[in-house]
Amino acid sequence: MSTDSFAMTAENVSVWFGERKVLEDVNLSFPARQVTALIGPSGCGKSTFLRTLNRMHELIPGAGLAGSIYLDGQDIYGEDVDAVSVRIKVGMVFQKPNPFPTMSIQDNVLSGLKLSGRKIDNAAEVVETSLRRASMWNEVKDRLGDQATSLSGGQQQRLCIARSLAMNPEILLMDEPCSALDPGSTRRIEETINELKDSMSIVIVTHNMQQAQRVSDLTAFFLADDNVPGGVVEFGSTQQVFHGPIDSRTNDYVNGHFG
Amino acid sequence: MANFIQNQPWKRNSVSRRVQILLAIVVPLPLVSLVALLSGLDPTMTFITLFLPLQLFAAGLVGYLSYGKRGFGDAALLFITTFLSLFVLILLMSVLWSVVTEGFKALSPQFIYQNNKYVDQTTSLEFGGVGHAILGTLLLILMTTLAAVPLGFAMAIYLTQSQSKARNLVRTFTQAISGLPSVVSGLFILAIIEATGIGRSGLTGALALFPLMLPTVARVAEESLKLVPVDLRYAALALGSPNYRAFFRVILPAAKTGLLTAVLLGLARIVGETAPLLLTLNPSSATNLNPFDGGMMALPTYVYNYLASYYDTSQARAWGASLVLLILVAILFGTARIIGRQKSLKSKGKK
Repeated sequence: MSTDSFAMTAENVSVWFGERKVLEDVNLSFPARQVTALIGPSGCGKSTFLRTLNRMHELIPGAGLAGSIYLDGQDIYGEDVDAVSVRIKVGMVFQKPNPFPTMSIQDNVLSGLKLSGRKIDNAAEVVETSLRRASMWNEVKDRLGDQATSLSGGQQQRLCIARSLAMNPEILLMDEPCSALDPGSTRRIEETINELKDSMSIVIVTHNMQQAQRVSDLTAFFLADDNVPGGVVEFGSTQQVFHGPIDSRTNDYVNGHFG
Repeated sequence: MANFIQNQPWKRNSVSRRVQILLAIVVPLPLVSLVALLSGLDPTMTFITLFLPLQLFAAGLVGYLSYGKRGFGDAALLFITTFLSLFVLILLMSVLWSVVTEGFKALSPQFIYQNNKYVDQTTSLEFGGVGHAILGTLLLILMTTLAAVPLGFAMAIYLTQSQSKARNLVRTFTQAISGLPSVVSGLFILAIIEATGIGRSGLTGALALFPLMLPTVARVAEESLKLVPVDLRYAALALGSPNYRAFFRVILPAAKTGLLTAVLLGLARIVGETAPLLLTLNPSSATNLNPFDGGMMALPTYVYNYLASYYDTSQARAWGASLVLLILVAILFGTARIIGRQKSLKSKGKK
């Protein structure tokens, strides 16, 4: 594969919180228009790694980072790169649904465009397309003016996805997006992920190994030990990681022997 | 009501228990009154030494009969809290009552809009009024608010949104100033007046009120901004929002009610202040709308000036001004609450 086919590449990424090193020397390439799952036990640094990909990591006091992350051939931690411009291209869906409580459903969808200071010419169209792509248009089309907090948890999370999609990101990061949701909502979000990967690359952190197998094309297995920073143990096609892992620790984890 | 109770089994009480509760509430008072009448004891003493213990005992007994030891504690606490809240409520009501009844004697349309230019201590209540003091108070709190609210909000924003190391220093100083006695604030401005030779005016009065309002606004605003979940800020930033826009479009609207409360508490802190104004404001009986020159009257200083007099009409004026001050505060707070509520309703119903 040539470098063009990679949406994003992380090279020798190490991460600190204060004095404590939590990730060491992570090298991962995310192929364009594919879903990559990051799996591993709690505390292995996979969510932290995800947050380095759109520069949300640096918002935590005491955060540190070494290495490079390339997006469109440019290091997003380069000297003249603005975090805001990175976050516009790399969207993020959080673990807990966090729609803006003071805004209506419609305003939530448009919030990204407004907050990043873009002009909106065709608001109605953007709202409909984004909500359709998050497969919730039919549920909310008659109540676009309602407060976002009046939606159920699963709907709120899909609204958050729609909010990110309105920005047309190149890459969508999802940090355990279904961990707070019921199986029905989870299934719908997984369907959405499958439809979205035609138009963007997705990186998803998940604790649910069935989910990783259902939605992802590639899987990276993260592991950390006591007092040893986390890192990638194995990275390959999802098929290979789950059914023919090279590393015995991967084998133990995906078969539920620990974690 | 009966249906309502039927659907709430935890509130059901048998007839005999209801009779017990009724007896415990009703019996002690006539019993103690009878004892007091027959023995000729001092009513206040009887109330404290006989009625309160007896009522407590009756409540405890009913509790004990119903639920045993736990019921006794429950009923005793219920009695004590009820008694104490009634005590405070009566104190509050009696203050309010005397202000309203006494103040009403002086109240008339002319009392609201006229000033005291041609009034002396014995002038009949049909002449003169507190118009100049109302305008003075409004002007003073307006000036103070215009300075203290923006700065107080700015401090709250700095304390909650930045990672600066100087935050603790700012927070400590704010807390220190919030404990400042108001007369000291007045003395401070008085010292400036004496040192610089600038004359007393509405401005110096407002300056003396400023250090009282600022910490209240800053601290309450800080608390209400702190209550906005950090998730919302992250969500906005992850959408490519600059910090300032995330603050103005997401955090500020979410904290709106709390910020309004901060302004109201700040106003409440200064609207009745007397001591700093006595030191920094020349009293005036005429209407003066120029805050940079001349004397000015505020409602609290008006009350102070006339209350000290021996003449009935002057004292009636003081009571009247107190009532006007209470009404003014009620109007200010009521309007602010209605404005706050309307805005949130509007955003809810927006299509």
